[in-house]
Amino acid sequence: MHILFIHDAFPAQFGRVGLELTERYGWQCSYLVRSFTRCPEPSQKMLDSLTIQRYTFGTRPFGSDQTPWPQLYGEYVEQCAAVLNAAREWPDLRPDLIVANGGRGAPTLYLAEHFDCPIVTYCEYYFARSHRDLTYRIDLPPAEPAPFFPRVINAPTLASLTTSHAGCAPTHWQKQSFPERFHHKIEVHFDGVDEQLYAPGQRVSEIAGRTISPETKVVTFVARGMESMRGFDLFIAAASRIAQERSDVLFVVAGDEKAYYGWDSFHAQGKTFQEWTMSRIPCDPSRFLFLGHVSPETLADVLRRSDLHLYLSVPFVTSWSLFNAMSTGAVVLASDIAPVREIVKHEQNGLLCPLFDTDQMANLALDVLATPAKYAPLGRAARDTILSKYSLDACMPNLKDYYERVANL
Amino acid sequence: MSQFPLHLLCVEPRFPGRLGAVADWLVRRRGYRVSFFCHNADPRALWPESTGKGLDVISFGVGGLANEQRIDWTRVLERSLCYSYGCWEVLSARHPRQVDVILGRSAGLGSTLFANVEIPRTPVVQFYDTYFDSKNTSLSASETYLHWRKAANAIELIELENGTIPWTATQYQRGLFPGEYRDDFHVIFDGVETRSLPPRDRTPLTINDKTLDENTRVVTFVARSLDALRGFDTFAQVFDRLAQTDPNVVAIAAGSPIVDHAFDHANYGSDFPAKILASLSQTARERMLLPGVLSQANLARVLARSDLHFYGSQPHPVSRSLAQAMAAGCVVLVVDDAAVREFVEHDATGLLASREVDELTAIAQRVLGKPLEYRTLGDAAATFAREKLSRDVTLPRLVSLFDRLVDERR
Repeated sequence: MHILFIHDAFPAQFGRVGLELTERYGWQCSYLVRSFTRCPEPSQKMLDSLTIQRYTFGTRPFGSDQTPWPQLYGEYVEQCAAVLNAAREWPDLRPDLIVANGGRGAPTLYLAEHFDCPIVTYCEYYFARSHRDLTYRIDLPPAEPAPFFPRVINAPTLASLTTSHAGCAPTHWQKQSFPERFHHKIEVHFDGVDEQLYAPGQRVSEIAGRTISPETKVVTFVARGMESMRGFDLFIAAASRIAQERSDVLFVVAGDEKAYYGWDSFHAQGKTFQEWTMSRIPCDPSRFLFLGHVSPETLADVLRRSDLHLYLSVPFVTSWSLFNAMSTGAVVLASDIAPVREIVKHEQNGLLCPLFDTDQMANLALDVLATPAKYAPLGRAARDTILSKYSLDACMPNLKDYYERVANL
Repeated sequence: MSQFPLHLLCVEPRFPGRLGAVADWLVRRRGYRVSFFCHNADPRALWPESTGKGLDVISFGVGGLANEQRIDWTRVLERSLCYSYGCWEVLSARHPRQVDVILGRSAGLGSTLFANVEIPRTPVVQFYDTYFDSKNTSLSASETYLHWRKAANAIELIELENGTIPWTATQYQRGLFPGEYRDDFHVIFDGVETRSLPPRDRTPLTINDKTLDENTRVVTFVARSLDALRGFDTFAQVFDRLAQTDPNVVAIAAGSPIVDHAFDHANYGSDFPAKILASLSQTARERMLLPGVLSQANLARVLARSDLHFYGSQPHPVSRSLAQAMAAGCVVLVVDDAAVREFVEHDATGLLASREVDELTAIAQRVLGKPLEYRTLGDAAATFAREKLSRDVTLPRLVSLFDRLVDERR
């Protein structure tokens, strides 16, 4: 079996999946990607085992901040044409299956002209016109594109989905985000947490050069970017309350200062959303340790040291960080929203709290920090949830079966 | 069934376009008020009767890319959004009140996409013309053109997903859309005028200062523009052969000489008839009359005088001109494909044939040589049009849909 994975970046979602398919089942996995990510970087094993081709198009990064939203679809079809050209220039590339994801729609629109094999769209998310994702935070100042962009943003996703043979979503909620008319062609297969890397273990005594005493309580927050859609401002509000009550808490934050989603730059008055938030909510900066992007190994260390992990996203793509935190056995306190409820059951394998009720959130957090033994079973149950449902060992056999079925369509 | 007079807000890039005739019928036959938002308009001579008398035309401007004559194929959706935004700006400035239903036709330009931003919770019925498949048309095509065809579906997809109630004219058009959407479509032909058509008439007819006497055999061809998509080139080749064997045959090809169908991308913006006529015999050139775009009244007179109407479109949604020719009682000679079979039954309401010029010519010669023998086909076509294609038959179904939507909202 030979799969061609297409993604903006490598390794991203597909790097580890391809490596597992290669090592476990002897499959051949090839990649067409635009760039290698810095964090995480591709492992040497990936580079040795997988065939990776990079392709280029345009002069600016796809979906960059400089691209006005009405032009995003144009960039998408340019990318589709570039992927077709790259495929044509790759001699003897004859996959049995193509699996594609893209920042905003899989760039597969023209691949059926070149390949005689089924195409799977990785159905990460379908944006809503209201009450989810971009439009959920009505507590923040409205942004100019708010009435318009949500009506347009899904164009690449629809174009790719209507021209692909099947779709694969990582969670049921993400599948449900798509219009019901497409549910018949979307199956749910999670791509697998590395349960060996993200495993309970020894608690580190130093993070990013800062010594952390055994008595220090660590509260973690992880997101790709410090943005409202992932609840960074709500985290700061809750943290501020917690810090007032306890002097022994350190808040360790991993992720880029940049906002990747949403319209935070519209109301941040020239600042990053992180700066804007920190300037509005009274808090002692010395109580926070901002790490920026970290390697998976560092993230695993941070999560192992966590006494409480906060996950405060709006209804949107469920972050890997939630799965990683649960996999390390951290006690998770998360926003009580549908995508999280699919994974976290309140008082069974984590805690849920209304997203905007930062007082209740802080009270719950303080109770966890004060009585860790009472909540430790939740962390163990979280680890069990990952092992039974979301680990590589749990997911890969199903994913293999799915790819084989679609390849034989 | 009750049929309320409603306030309809129509949006189409050009007036009267396709919805103008529908709006006119609704105003005159059902007492509707229609506010018709458009970007530009045809000459007033082509406006429907009720314009200014219940049908008000309001223009909206477009900015940016929409003002450019040609755009890169990758920017097709961006141009559509210029229309969507332009329409929204005017709606936002005018705040139209008590709109019962919004009726839009995108024509690939997405005019109603943001209408609900200004007028929320009002049903939007949207007329969808076509959805491009990934395969080549039978017209010669570059890869860029084929890429454009696939890219251009984006506006239809996002309109379909933004709560419009999809409407299209034929089952063929409905079948072009992805299977996931087909069940949502209302298939209602938007109809042709059948009430006030002139009777079939062999009295002299003057076209382009040339008077055609009662013995002249008239072959007609009608299209928005005389292009390869609608088969003007095939028609011209057939007529060239007819003209060489029949001294009394004349062709009238009505439509704009400048190709405005982007589907005929090889000839877009050019004078296609000039190019085709240059390849015809002098006899054919002299007897091919090109009156340009005709008013509905003049078109009706030409069709009433037609001895044979030729419809040679490439596979594409059927042009209204075929239905008009049938309503006028023309004997229609039609290049066969799935789209036309909803209208023409071979040897019953018209003649279907392959695109072979020899075959088409032979059939045309038989029809012109024995007009009485084939008259029954023209009469049957007229009966079919009255019973199935007339606005008086088709548009009450659209009215019922509007009534139901308004009822559901109450």
